Amino acid sequence: MADLKLRGVRKAYGAADVIKGVDLDIAHGEFVVFVGPSGCGKSTLLRLIAGLEDITSGDIEIGGKLVNDVEARDRGVAMVFQSYALYPHMSVRDNVGFGLRLARVPKAERAKAVEEAARILQMEPLLDRKPAQLSGGQRQRVAIGRAIVRDPEVFLFDEPLSNLDAALRMDMRAELARLHQQLGATMIYVTHDQVEAMTLADKIVVLKDGEVQQIGAPMELYDHPANLFVAGFIGAPKMNLLEADVTSVDGATIRLGGADLTELTVTGAAGTLPARGEAVTLGIRPHDLIPAADGPLRPRIDLIERLGHETIIAGALPSGARLTAVLEARSPVRLDEEVPLSVAPGAARLFAASGEAVPLKAD
Amino acid sequence: MTFPRLRTNALFARGLIVLLMIVTLLPFLSMLSAALAPSGSYPSGLEWPSDPAWGNFAKAWQVANMTELMTSSVLIVLGTVPAAVLFATMAGFGLAKLTTKRSAWFYLVFVIGLTLPFEAVITPLYFEVRELGLLNTRGAIILPLIGLYMPFSVFWMRAHFLSIPQDLSEASQLDGARRWQEFWMVQVPLARPAIMSLSILLFLWTWNQFLLPVVLVQEPTRRTMAGALGAFQGQWGTDIPLLCAGSLIILAPTVILFLIFQRQFVAALLQGAVKG
Repeated sequence: MADLKLRGVRKAYGAADVIKGVDLDIAHGEFVVFVGPSGCGKSTLLRLIAGLEDITSGDIEIGGKLVNDVEARDRGVAMVFQSYALYPHMSVRDNVGFGLRLARVPKAERAKAVEEAARILQMEPLLDRKPAQLSGGQRQRVAIGRAIVRDPEVFLFDEPLSNLDAALRMDMRAELARLHQQLGATMIYVTHDQVEAMTLADKIVVLKDGEVQQIGAPMELYDHPANLFVAGFIGAPKMNLLEADVTSVDGATIRLGGADLTELTVTGAAGTLPARGEAVTLGIRPHDLIPAADGPLRPRIDLIERLGHETIIAGALPSGARLTAVLEARSPVRLDEEVPLSVAPGAARLFAASGEAVPLKAD
Repeated sequence: MTFPRLRTNALFARGLIVLLMIVTLLPFLSMLSAALAPSGSYPSGLEWPSDPAWGNFAKAWQVANMTELMTSSVLIVLGTVPAAVLFATMAGFGLAKLTTKRSAWFYLVFVIGLTLPFEAVITPLYFEVRELGLLNTRGAIILPLIGLYMPFSVFWMRAHFLSIPQDLSEASQLDGARRWQEFWMVQVPLARPAIMSLSILLFLWTWNQFLLPVVLVQEPTRRTMAGALGAFQGQWGTDIPLLCAGSLIILAPTVILFLIFQRQFVAALLQGAVKG
């Protein structure tokens, strides 16, 4: 097990920059998730760490050792592929033990390690089967087993659950979390699914167009997104992002108004505050909207989803912008009705025209 | 109403298959009937002889020195096929997995080789083989054949290796495999169907090789069986029944091989048609 450092890591294919300078520290035993839309470079970054591709510039250190020029097989990393990449001609036992066989581990020792991995992943009955005889979830287990037996410094997962159905995905997610606790290993996990990122990660790295947007604990990203992209990407349902104008700035008190908003006041923290008249974006999580007779937001409801434990409503504001809110399960809302909503204290987020978050004081 | 129509279609299809079968088998039957005609006669090949001369086969075997020819053929096949398959497998892997786009031209050289007919190189080949001092030895057949088989064999194996997902290569590297280990422990076992079908094809081509042995080897007992037909014909040119009997004997091993391996052969051709 080891920590990992990335310093100014860049990757270009010809003239196309795919990774544009990533700095990242991953502590020993941490579960880090790279998340972002497809094409953001998250898988490429993982492959650079694995050594499957060469970096164009920068440094990668694993366990304090510079590995820029170290072959993939000598980096002490194990990877679980999206396609599982099991060897079709080998039994599960041979698949899992293949790395040890290459390392010339004695047969008895190898068998013991394979049995141990099978025990951890509860796949003892599958050991003599071929990959073709396994279901998707079982193949995934074997792929993870193959990584475990090598006792790597760092585990790498490349969208390992995306080929599984929803129910199985949830089970495997829980199992991965358990595995991380049990092994205490450093794990890096790539996904485009922000739910996987939120539930598994100690630390999330949000990527877009080959650049890191924000690094932080899941709740930190949820509560304090650094910019509009992170705000829109993390959290489900998505954060509402509304155009607003700064109507006045009085000390730290910022008053907002606009076509969709009667009036809303937020308190700025230290740092530069937006000037009066500046166009800003207001971010409000659907869960932070509360029905209130004098609420500043008045969407006309055209969608009601009653999920049992909560009710999701959505509607259009006067300007045509969409607003989504999550209300209590039995909220008496009806279609085509105007529902006045207010914002929970301290829940509003403000983004400057550049897209960067304006630091606000938590009430 | 679809049922009767399906029946008509099925009948029509079956009829076509029977017709094709007859067209395929007729020359062989014609040969067999000719081979059974009395030695020295001129059979038409279209009628069954009233008194089948089965002894023609034994006679042809003896007269054409078949025991020696068969041994020679086997030696040539053993010298050619394993080496050609080994080189083609390694080259195919290299071209499919180890080269970048920049060296794609290298593969084109092999493809150009595909367009080259044997007959076009036979004269220069004769002089080269003579310079090497191999004329009139089995080496004169084996070495050129290995070379001449490369374009197709490399093309065949490369196509197979391209179909193997890159993830498997990468997984084995992360498992600690060197390229050589990856090749022998992961890629070759997965290439077995392609290797099998290539081996069968190369066996057939070598066994039936006619031009090279006739040009490069004077001594009939060092030729392939098919190559020896030339001498056989010269000696017994007028005895058509014996010639036919000899041809059928030469054909036999390839037919037997096909019958044994047809399952693998068909499986190899269907490889990749269905996702595993």
